[in-house]
Amino acid sequence: MGTKDDEYDYLFKVVLIGDSGVGKSNLLSRFTRNEFNLESKSTIGVEFATRSIQVDGKTIKAQIWDTAGQERYRAITSAYYRGAVGALLVYDIAKHLTYENVERWLRELRDHADQNIVIMLVGNKSDLRHLRAVPTDEARNFAERNNLSFIETSALDSTNVESAFHNILTEIYKIVSQKQIRDSPDDDNSPSSNVQTITVAPTDLKGQSKKQCCS
Amino acid sequence: MASLSSGSSRENKAGFWKKNSSVPGSIKPVYGAQHPPPQSNINMPSGRQIKKDEKAKHNKKDAFHEFENKTSDAWDDGDDDLIQMANLKLSLKDVHTSAKVVLDNHSKKANSLQKQQLEDNAASNNKGLNSPQSYNSNHHHPHHYHGGPGLGVRLNSGGYQPPKMTSIRYVTNTAPDREATKIDKFKALFAEPSLDLSDLRQLCWSGIPKAVRPTAWKILSGYLPTAADRRQETLERKRKEYFGYIDQYYETRYQDLHEETFRQIHIDIPRMNPLIPIFQQLVVQDIFERILYIWAIRHPASGYVQGINDLVTPFFVVFLSEYIENDIEVENCDLTELPQSTRDLIEADSFWCMSKLLDGIQDNYTFAQPGIQMKVNALRELIKRIDAPLFHHLERQGVEFLQFSFRWMNNLLMREIPLRCTIRLWDTYQSEINGFADFHLYVCAAFLKRFSEDALREQDFQGILMLLQNLPTLHWKDKEISELLAEAYKLKYMFADAPRHLLLKS
Repeated sequence: MGTKDDEYDYLFKVVLIGDSGVGKSNLLSRFTRNEFNLESKSTIGVEFATRSIQVDGKTIKAQIWDTAGQERYRAITSAYYRGAVGALLVYDIAKHLTYENVERWLRELRDHADQNIVIMLVGNKSDLRHLRAVPTDEARNFAERNNLSFIETSALDSTNVESAFHNILTEIYKIVSQKQIRDSPDDDNSPSSNVQTITVAPTDLKGQSKKQCCS
Repeated sequence: MASLSSGSSRENKAGFWKKNSSVPGSIKPVYGAQHPPPQSNINMPSGRQIKKDEKAKHNKKDAFHEFENKTSDAWDDGDDDLIQMANLKLSLKDVHTSAKVVLDNHSKKANSLQKQQLEDNAASNNKGLNSPQSYNSNHHHPHHYHGGPGLGVRLNSGGYQPPKMTSIRYVTNTAPDREATKIDKFKALFAEPSLDLSDLRQLCWSGIPKAVRPTAWKILSGYLPTAADRRQETLERKRKEYFGYIDQYYETRYQDLHEETFRQIHIDIPRMNPLIPIFQQLVVQDIFERILYIWAIRHPASGYVQGINDLVTPFFVVFLSEYIENDIEVENCDLTELPQSTRDLIEADSFWCMSKLLDGIQDNYTFAQPGIQMKVNALRELIKRIDAPLFHHLERQGVEFLQFSFRWMNNLLMREIPLRCTIRLWDTYQSEINGFADFHLYVCAAFLKRFSEDALREQDFQGILMLLQNLPTLHWKDKEISELLAEAYKLKYMFADAPRHLLLKS
């Protein structure tokens, strides 16, 4: 309670998922600490960071869970989806296989996450123009077909990293504030119960808000 | 008392070692029949099956003797606080403060002694003892003094480099004479025709001197036999066997069946120790890739799982240290300076010792990682019993043990402490039966308990989790590990020898 960190209007849990080596940890460190490591250690299990942003004069605290990409971990990491209201599904624009696996990750979310979770498809490493293996249009079309937001980012040169997180958090905020679910985190300091009280939007509303979020 | 007399006869037998005791890499290669893998006689709190005869051996009395024997070594090391820690309920903080003063003085004294000794040696010591492979010169290089001969060529040979915080270098606070005595004990033990593994474990538990660590680890892990005259033969056979696997399997890495395994290894290796120069060398990365790939396809039940790569590192670093100048930092050594044949030895030995380690914890990496889930639950139960305030604090804030201790189990704490501390920790793990599985659990409990106050100060979920995922251990040295081990031993003594104590009330 005592620290400034606790002063927020909303607390949203967001998970970062996607294949190993696509840059999930660097997206997280770029967004929360403005740091980037060309060779950052592989994530084991889950790593965790937070950052607060302002939307509509409200303080939104993002609790971001960075998960390990390797298949073997999924049996355990699926437990981390509990209570998540948003997911950044990341692939590497220079590695087509990581894009092909997006479908598997979507299935994974359908199986383990809340059915109303807001999902954004993120093509990372957009700085690797000369190595591009996934055309932007193809990914954007795929995202539209699947009702996902879409953005391309570069954690290395910072392009669109802020936007990606801002867009998904704003989208969640809109859904939540329209629903006017009880939103007083001060009543209950436990984050797990906070995030679980937020019921994410009915489907019609969700489809509507998706479109405006693509960049 | 029998052990006393046998100890002194060992000293006599090993008289000839003493002349050479300060020369690293002089370990005689070792030989023999495969020692049977150590059997478990430690019981997990989760109620593992205990064999009756094993249990009988480990009644309270024996356990006490074992405890006494193990901790008696602490006196040799000057780790007086180790014994106190195990017996009394002292606050670690208090011990810290006073120990720091003592150790600081002590290490100042030790350093000046060591410097003196090194200078003396450099003047007098130039007699033989270069084994063909051991590539070290007899010149001694007090750390940082000059570039010098030998293998450990600094990557940046532009002069003095300040020590790095991530240093692997094994730091001892013991006086050189004590260290030399301990080394002599090891060498005497290695020279025995049939080494008693429990003697070796007892000697190693409180830390192994750098000079004898490579051989000690190879024997402790079960890679080398206890029969001295069969060790060289075993080494040669196993090395040949490993390179046979390479010839047979390594080319399959691009085949459909194994492509994914190799791809994952290939992604993970370059980023495993980004701050340590030696791991940026391609020749080193290739070694790791081969070791991991061969292990993975020979163990299809688990295959390669991220984190296993970390487990090769301590073996590689320790076995490499056998071939480089004593005072050159391993992390800055250029591996291409070593002959191919030497690199092959390090690679094969690392492969086999890592395999032995993984044999004991394979259920950590099979589907759904049941070994880890079980250990995380056991840790939770243990903390509930030994640190109720912390346990309830974590519960209240919704922090689950899986969220922070998964990595502790998956990477054996290697992501939480500096590499030099892992190496020290493994001295003890390998001295315990099933150390990497069972004793590790108690170390994790002691580790968490150590940061209990810090965690209690954190008032919310994010604060606690950020702390537990980034614990301040960067400065840790042997002293902190010794304290941790003493606490872990106490917990093991309390719970493992009385598993029902934990089970019934939890």
